[in-house]
Amino acid sequence: MIKIEQLSKSFGVKEVLKAINLSFEKGKVYGIVGANGAGKTTLFRCIAGLETHTGLIHSDKQPLKNHLGFLPTNPYFFPKITGWEYLQLFCIARKISIANFDEKNIFDLPLNQYAITYSTGMKKKLAMTAILLLKNDYFILDEPFNGVDIQSNIIITELIKKLKSLGKTIIISSHIFSTLSTTCDEIHLLKNGQFVRKVLPAEFTLLEQEMTDFTVGDSIDKLDLR
Amino acid sequence: MKYYFTLQYRMLNRHLRAFGLYPILGYLLAILLFIGGSFYIFSKTEYAAYIYAFFALSPLTLLSETKRTDFLKSCFPAKDYLKIRIAENLLVTLPFLLFLAFKNEWLVLLALALIAALMARFHFNNQFNYTLPTPFYKRPFEFIVGFRTTIGVIGFAYFLTIMGISVGNFNLGIFSLLVIFLTSFSFYAQPDSQFLVWIFSNTSRSFLIDKIKTGMAYVTVLALPILVGLGYFFLEKWNILLVFWGLGYLYLLTIILAKYAAFPRAMNLPESIFIVASIFFPPFLLFVIPFFYRRSIKNLNTVLA
Repeated sequence: MIKIEQLSKSFGVKEVLKAINLSFEKGKVYGIVGANGAGKTTLFRCIAGLETHTGLIHSDKQPLKNHLGFLPTNPYFFPKITGWEYLQLFCIARKISIANFDEKNIFDLPLNQYAITYSTGMKKKLAMTAILLLKNDYFILDEPFNGVDIQSNIIITELIKKLKSLGKTIIISSHIFSTLSTTCDEIHLLKNGQFVRKVLPAEFTLLEQEMTDFTVGDSIDKLDLR
Repeated sequence: MKYYFTLQYRMLNRHLRAFGLYPILGYLLAILLFIGGSFYIFSKTEYAAYIYAFFALSPLTLLSETKRTDFLKSCFPAKDYLKIRIAENLLVTLPFLLFLAFKNEWLVLLALALIAALMARFHFNNQFNYTLPTPFYKRPFEFIVGFRTTIGVIGFAYFLTIMGISVGNFNLGIFSLLVIFLTSFSFYAQPDSQFLVWIFSNTSRSFLIDKIKTGMAYVTVLALPILVGLGYFFLEKWNILLVFWGLGYLYLLTIILAKYAAFPRAMNLPESIFIVASIFFPPFLLFVIPFFYRRSIKNLNTVLA
């Protein structure tokens, strides 16, 4: 379990997260939605320990970062490092020995090629493979479906379900609502650095409609498209 | 077009400020270094003009990188694109052209200017699909990236060693050893991504020790052919060889610590001053190494347990 109490984060005078309270339980999938700049990525970085913050983050596994797989929105890749070497780096970092990466290569990535030459989706899949190899208990997936093809989309969805069945805790952010509605147990709406609403599966369709109405409104009409 | 060059100027100023220098001071230093370096090259060899032209053309390959030129092509009409590319190539080579004129090397000057202008029409792809094998693949990442990026320099250093041995010039051999160490230092010039440090389950201390052990082991692999060659053919000078070898390790240790003393930002002026001072006055290392170590631990503690 991860429990967040009164978590706040400011960049200069701008308060990005405002006294957030939330718990993430074992064996559940949590969706975090919000507009760009709402504070999702900052929240994830705070949980991961990549940002300083005020407030508390408790977890039943200590230190949390050593049990957490974090998939950033734009994973970082060194130039001239192959996919294989990238995976090796993660395994060395967590002192895990993997004899054969090829059999763990569920996305059929060209592991002998430089990772920097991969497409956006392939990079995402490589970073996803890396965190899956580390036997983590918690997963934060920031936009895991961004740029990936439809087949990989299906694999990632099934992976999330499998991780859930293994009792892992998964926190996802995505701008593709359908991917959240098929995987999440709860969706939390983040707005201006605060959680304003918790939505359960029965209300997912309603939430999607409300978000569409609120976001789109009459803005498209303003373009006067003909 | 004017706005494009204004933006380049602003970017350059921002880089200098990020390095900890006032732009005007940066430009003055660059001019002084350029003039000093130019006089030095011309005082050392009769082929200076050709080496000089090679140095001038090297940065142009970066400006001709495919992704960059594709971006410019998508922004500007074809005519303006060509004007921009010719102008920036000539601007980069201008200091070299001026010095060649000063040295009355008119033929090389003309050839350089022509090649620079012609290169505006070409673009190069830096990302080849071929994966260069490396002996360092088991411990990512500095030596893997560095080896693949500087393979030409490493090959050149080995060539110098062979030349030094064949003409009985020990100093040339030592120079090749220095090239290997300096090249290895450059592997640590870029800062680590904060995330790729965060993934480690080590403590800050054991993380640093691992980095140092890997660096020492791998630089030994790179330097070993030179050390064995020089040790065998210049056995009577083993003590000098040992001093340079030992100093190489000490400075590598200093560079690794300097990298993390600056973490998560890149090394800039303060670290550079300490490193340069310890190169000119090696006993200063006794102060610099513990100082960088303490700062590294403090900085790494922000993301490691």
